[in-house]
Amino acid sequence: MTASLAPWVAAAVLVAGALGAVARFALSRALPVRPGRLPWGILIANVGGSAVAGLVIGLAERAALGDDVRLILVTGFCGGLTTFSTWSVESIELAATGRWRAAALNVGATFAFGLVACAVAYLLAR
Amino acid sequence: MGAYLAVFAGGLLGTGLRLGADLLLPHDDTGFPFSTLLVNLVGAFVLGILAGGLWTRPTTPSWLKAGIGAGVLGSFTTLSAVMASLVLIGTDRQWWLAAGYTAASVIGGLVLAAAGLRLGIGRERRRRAAAAAPRTTRSDAAP
Repeated sequence: MTASLAPWVAAAVLVAGALGAVARFALSRALPVRPGRLPWGILIANVGGSAVAGLVIGLAERAALGDDVRLILVTGFCGGLTTFSTWSVESIELAATGRWRAAALNVGATFAFGLVACAVAYLLAR
Repeated sequence: MGAYLAVFAGGLLGTGLRLGADLLLPHDDTGFPFSTLLVNLVGAFVLGILAGGLWTRPTTPSWLKAGIGAGVLGSFTTLSAVMASLVLIGTDRQWWLAAGYTAASVIGGLVLAAAGLRLGIGRERRRRAAAAAPRTTRSDAAP
């Protein structure tokens, strides 16, 4: 993290985050949650965002991308595209309605696929 | 269309707050990401309260749910930063740090989401009970 952050970089991070949030919202609308089923839209946004973050960090590591671009894409776009709060609350809501398997699958699949996608993208890109 | 604008505006705010947390609590790529853990746990708790309360009221407009839920809290919290930190901490072979961060995020997030939901549902139930109670009951109760 750089000590000083140029105002245009900060603004770009915010706009990129907002665009990521809009993309996630569009995905969740395109794949609406059916009661008791996995929230696929959010799962895809989370796994996809984790893969892009790994890719960008890998590229930045071999100086193919600058620090500012990394911050805008990773903290901004990927941070906005992915979400932790919806993932936690929807998993608990599944469990609270007795859908324990769906809840466990939502937690496990998001985490496992997200981690593998991020790691593979990072290792291929760096 | 209104919902998308609300999500965009909320996304600016949520991302800004998360960026602020990152700047206030900076961490190395291979260090413990306190800022990410903090925003994720706070965001899961607050979304739980809202999902148990405000979201269940028929009068809550859908653009507001979208703006605060998907927009502000959705972009305030992040899963990609958790994954990126785990990959970088793992590449650095700090397995215990990776395990501790995973446990703190997953267990902490689920516990706080459940606590928030419980709190939100309880508050909403009391609010509705108070609103449904006849006015005379309350004035009669006064000495």
